[in-house]
Amino acid sequence: MERLGKRSVRAIVVAAAATLAITGCSGQSLEGSGDKTDATGEQITLKVAFWGDMGLDKLKAAYEKDHPNVKIVLNSGEYNAQHEDLQKKLVAGNGAADISAVDEGFIVQFRSQADKFVNYLDKGGAEFEPKYLPWKWAQSLSPDGKQIGLGTDVGGLAMCYRSDLFKKAGLPTERDAVSKLWSSWDEFIEVGKTYTAKTGKKFVDSGTNMFNPVLAQQPVGFYNEQDQLQMEGGPKVAFDAAMKAINADISADLASFQPNWDQGFKKDQFAVLACPAWMLGHIQDTAPDQKGKWDIAAIPGGGGNWGGSWWTVPAQGKNTDAAVEFVKWMVQPAQQIEVFKTVGNLPSQPALYKDPAVLDYKKEFMSNAPTGQIFAATAENLKPQYLGKKNGPTRVAVENVIRRVQEGSLKPEAAWAEAIKEAEKASKA
Amino acid sequence: MSLTQLRPAPPHDPSPPKSPGRIKLWLYRFDTKSVPYALIAPFFILFGVFGLFPIVFNGVVALRNWRLDDPTLTGWAGFENFTKLAQDEDFWNALGNTFGIFLLSTIPQLLLALLVASILNRKLRAMTWWRIGVLLPYLTPVVASTLVFAVFFSRDYGMANWFLGLVGFGQETPLDWRAAKWSSWLAIATMVNWKWIGYNALLYLSAMQTIPKDVYEAAAVDGAGPWRQLWRITVPMIQPVVVFTVILSTIGGLQLFNEPMMFDENPQSASGGSDHQFQTIAQLIYKVGWKDLNLGYAAAMSWALFLIILIVAGVNALLTKRIGGDR
Repeated sequence: MERLGKRSVRAIVVAAAATLAITGCSGQSLEGSGDKTDATGEQITLKVAFWGDMGLDKLKAAYEKDHPNVKIVLNSGEYNAQHEDLQKKLVAGNGAADISAVDEGFIVQFRSQADKFVNYLDKGGAEFEPKYLPWKWAQSLSPDGKQIGLGTDVGGLAMCYRSDLFKKAGLPTERDAVSKLWSSWDEFIEVGKTYTAKTGKKFVDSGTNMFNPVLAQQPVGFYNEQDQLQMEGGPKVAFDAAMKAINADISADLASFQPNWDQGFKKDQFAVLACPAWMLGHIQDTAPDQKGKWDIAAIPGGGGNWGGSWWTVPAQGKNTDAAVEFVKWMVQPAQQIEVFKTVGNLPSQPALYKDPAVLDYKKEFMSNAPTGQIFAATAENLKPQYLGKKNGPTRVAVENVIRRVQEGSLKPEAAWAEAIKEAEKASKA
Repeated sequence: MSLTQLRPAPPHDPSPPKSPGRIKLWLYRFDTKSVPYALIAPFFILFGVFGLFPIVFNGVVALRNWRLDDPTLTGWAGFENFTKLAQDEDFWNALGNTFGIFLLSTIPQLLLALLVASILNRKLRAMTWWRIGVLLPYLTPVVASTLVFAVFFSRDYGMANWFLGLVGFGQETPLDWRAAKWSSWLAIATMVNWKWIGYNALLYLSAMQTIPKDVYEAAAVDGAGPWRQLWRITVPMIQPVVVFTVILSTIGGLQLFNEPMMFDENPQSASGGSDHQFQTIAQLIYKVGWKDLNLGYAAAMSWALFLIILIVAGVNALLTKRIGGDR
């Protein structure tokens, strides 16, 4: 120490401490995928990663009963975190779950890394192709023709509304009458103005939740099939609708899926919510005491798709064959209907839309709305949209511009130019 | 019979010390020469694996193309990532935010810690209770406390706005803390200060307790008040600890991630507010790496941050020495 001198010791301390800088940024710890082989060599553990509630609890019990050597571990996490985790494990080369759910918003990102997943076509998956909606099958197909996912659900759009709040505002409460109120988004905004004028409360949760469903209804989204940014088409229509809603002062300006939004449910801060089938489960979990207060009407402007997932099997897993078997079992009609009844996720196999079990189903929580009929009808009218590689970041960038308008830090007139600028930046990032 | 008589112990016949065997000698030498190194080795091994290797690997990645969404784009990029960095508005914006929040948090934090420590250094009732008490914020998991603060600073039902209303600054439209740079920086700096004041105060306190009391007594006789004693005696005498805390808070401040991340309305976008008004560099690195999936560029940013911290920590250490009156 003496020889080094005080100065150099301090310099070393500074250097060593600063190295913490970089190392502090490293990612999450790796976990094993939990594959355990018993002494008998038979026991298999399959870890399934997904988000929210995909209605797997009952399926797990049933499958384990029929396959005593298979143990299924369910790992539900946060939507973005699960996708990010999968991406990190793919880079690391191990640690991914045996089966991972991937959402529409991320499928393009993962299908461009198709060699890291089991190709279902190598495992006899081709038999499933005719059963699926053609665009659902195509979305998880890699450019070189590998199928990395078997579809679970699609997110056909409807409009959920609070019939109790509608009643207070003197609006119709029957779902057919409500659907007739808004055949277009302009009419929808007019209804919102009436509601806000009568009650003093906001109508929609946020400008971004106007933007997203309207965008989903456009024939072309952010990107065309050549992966070029097309802001003047669909995005412009959707952006204008969002600006109209903000200017009409009917938006509560809450960020979706965040604590303030959840609180907004409980404090009646908004009365409508664009809801794909999978949103029903979310409403039910967030506001369980609002049973019977929600109902479902048609969405303005016709169909549209928002979200929907696939089951993928990362190739790094030790029991990929068993995992593929389980996925094939999960996408069978009986299981898909079971999931639909438990959480409301709408299957992506059109044959099921004719199935009496789906058509006759009424969702008790949503005032006994015939969710089967409603969502089956929207799903068949879907105009699938191509989602580019950079769709996710571009959406975030444009949503941020809408948020700035809501926060008052950006004038609505200047917003569109800013949205184009930010979207272009995101498309090149 | 005399009690004082001491009988000398019978002469003990000391057997001549055995010449130690070779093995023993070797063991002895091993003990004195090598064991200290062996004992300190785990640190360096761990540092090598979790510190040095990531830095070097980051440096290599920074010079390469590595995009997760485009596996075909690989190979060496040279300094392309770094030249891109120099022209990246987002990077400079994040750098500005990071320094802004860093100044707003570190300076009040260390000054207040000094005050708290000098108060705790007096005779107080329930002294241990107070001393443990100031450490409690440090023990709280950062995610938990940040979530609470995020609600505290929320627009619609936040307590911060309620307080503002109480003291007469209530506004017609409630203040949206996240919307502007100044308010978001202030909110984030508050979280950082809350967490680290107690920790730094305890470090200062332990250093203060090594200062001999007579120095203060002499100063008091010469007519120095408490304030003067603090700045003329305490601070210079605990200067090494002050340097240490300055370096630590520089590192912590420039790597700020959790607080701005959790403070955001939409944390998963990692955009640090709708207009990146409070996006820090660590957040930007995360966004570029895991949202834009550009690992090469993210690695270049990490290295840039590393160098910036190295420089700033060095400058701060020098400055602190000057202020402390070292030379």
